[in-house]
Amino acid sequence: MSLLRVENLVKSFGGVHAIQDLSFEIPEGVVYSVIGPNGAGKTTLFNLISGVYTPSSGEILLAGENTRGLAPHQLARRGMSRTFQNLQICMNMSAVENVMVGSHLRLDSSFFKAMLRLPSITRGDRACREQAEELMEFAGVGHYIGSEADAMPYGALKRLEIARALASEPKILFLDEPAAGLNGTETAEIDQLIQKVAQSGVTVVLVEHDMKLVMNISQHLLVLDYGKKLAEGSPDQIRCNPDVIAAYLGAA
Amino acid sequence: MSHIKHLLKTPRYGGLLALVLICLLLPLLLQNAYQFDVAIKVGISAVVVVGLNLLIGYTGQISLGHAGFFGLGAYSSAILTVNYEWSALAALLAGSVGVGLIAFVLARPILKLKGHYLAMATLGLGIIISIVIATEDWLTGGPDGMGVGPFMLFDYEIYGEKAWYWVVAALLVLSVWLALNIIDSPVGRALRAVHGSEVAAQVAGIDTTHYKVLVFVFSAVIASVMGSVFAHYSGFVTPTEAGFFHSIELVTMVVLGGMASTYGGILGALILVLLPQLLSGLEDLEMIIFGLILMLTMIFMPKGLLPTVTGRLKGGKA
Ligand SMILES: Nc1ncnc2c1ncn2[C@@H]1O[C@H](COP(=O)(O)OP(=O)(O)OP(=O)(O)O)[C@@H](O)[C@H]1O
Ligand SMILES: [Mg+2]
Repeated sequence: MSLLRVENLVKSFGGVHAIQDLSFEIPEGVVYSVIGPNGAGKTTLFNLISGVYTPSSGEILLAGENTRGLAPHQLARRGMSRTFQNLQICMNMSAVENVMVGSHLRLDSSFFKAMLRLPSITRGDRACREQAEELMEFAGVGHYIGSEADAMPYGALKRLEIARALASEPKILFLDEPAAGLNGTETAEIDQLIQKVAQSGVTVVLVEHDMKLVMNISQHLLVLDYGKKLAEGSPDQIRCNPDVIAAYLGAA
Repeated sequence: MSHIKHLLKTPRYGGLLALVLICLLLPLLLQNAYQFDVAIKVGISAVVVVGLNLLIGYTGQISLGHAGFFGLGAYSSAILTVNYEWSALAALLAGSVGVGLIAFVLARPILKLKGHYLAMATLGLGIIISIVIATEDWLTGGPDGMGVGPFMLFDYEIYGEKAWYWVVAALLVLSVWLALNIIDSPVGRALRAVHGSEVAAQVAGIDTTHYKVLVFVFSAVIASVMGSVFAHYSGFVTPTEAGFFHSIELVTMVVLGGMASTYGGILGALILVLLPQLLSGLEDLEMIIFGLILMLTMIFMPKGLLPTVTGRLKGGKA
């Protein structure tokens, strides 16, 4: 059984058909990339899968369970996690606290216990802070452990967001353009980080425009164009696909 | 022992200790009943603001109607003790449970709104409450208000400014302790994440609606409790306590003192309660002056007084 299955997915915004009758499957344990020109519907697809948008029609199955009607926080509990193309960091919090937000669903978060600071809260917080610091080290932003989020440079924030996404210990992680706006060295570091994440057993779904990164890292690719599936296959298959070359790679 | 030392070093308990010391030592400086009265009024507002800051400052959800909850608490105490001869404590508790329920029912539809719409909805809520209080005069005494008896706690009567001072000081310390506990917990991080990026909070597994409702109810209940305290302390309640101007006053305290700064909110309450005392004779201008303070703070000091000052001090040292 595939970890994620999308069947005949459709999403329209008024007259704009952002996703049109899209079906595909993501097996467990791979790095799976979704590519396509600007406006192809990649971010919309992520928003649909993570419950931020409701599909116009079609089904999404996570580990066999239909996710229809589930809110983002409920999907998170089922092992889904993601980052955002337009960086969603809480600038009113410290770097570590941002990552700690990611472990929310594994903590005792009873309002009354928190208000009285009962031992279960203190214990949970201590463990969660330690884990957050480890994740920051893992993501290569360990030297920002004492920083406020708004004091960090953009490249570091991109990785902080990945650390937060990992804090919920997801089965499947969606990364929307993790290398956007980064220079060559930073992109290479992100490449390594994603590989480390994949090696740790997390299924990674990647949207990225950097073709070198995508071809290097993924086992399987899905090419979108105008919300439709243009092609699908291994990096080698995609590289030779004439439709893809015409619509996308050729133009780039 | 080293455990206690460690606790005091953390900003959380260090600040709380300072607050306790200030509350303990302040009576040495206060010279007469009038000054105690001002201190009590600062304290009552400060407690409401500590709760309201959780909603506005930390969670980023505006409310222009919290005086409504304060008024409901005040009138619950007044009506239940005077008309129905309930004990003061029972009336206070009943009022806060009632306000909690009202806030809970209203929170879901109201907090779905964002920005201006949320401001308008809470504004409307506060206005409706104050109008109902002013018009149902068979129950509330109408615009003239109604008298309230003393606060009897079993056989003991809380009597005189000094006794009330200690009650309000204890409530202030308690509310700050609760607020600080909440802020530095998974709940507080969830609230702050709602402010920072609601969608990020959601995909991180946080039921953001649930937390917005919780903090709305919590801040409303605190306002209600302090409304009850105010009613018994002052011995008289009027619809202005629930009115629009009082709501704006509370929001101005949060904004001036410091959004997302618990101690800042207390400072805001201190300044805005003291100001009219210093400007006596200018009552007509009070509203204009408050509006001006709100505007100037937002333009020149968007983080509020305390965070700006501590930020400068830290920046200056580095
Ligand atoms: N909330 C929305 N309301 C209306 N239209 C939308 C919305 N979100 C996306 N769209 C439209 O859907 C289409 C797909 O957009 P989407 O952001 O998914 O593209 P993308 O593949 O992520 O592009 P990019 O590479 O630039 O990030 C676009 O035409 C866009 O304008
Ligand atoms: Mg996109």
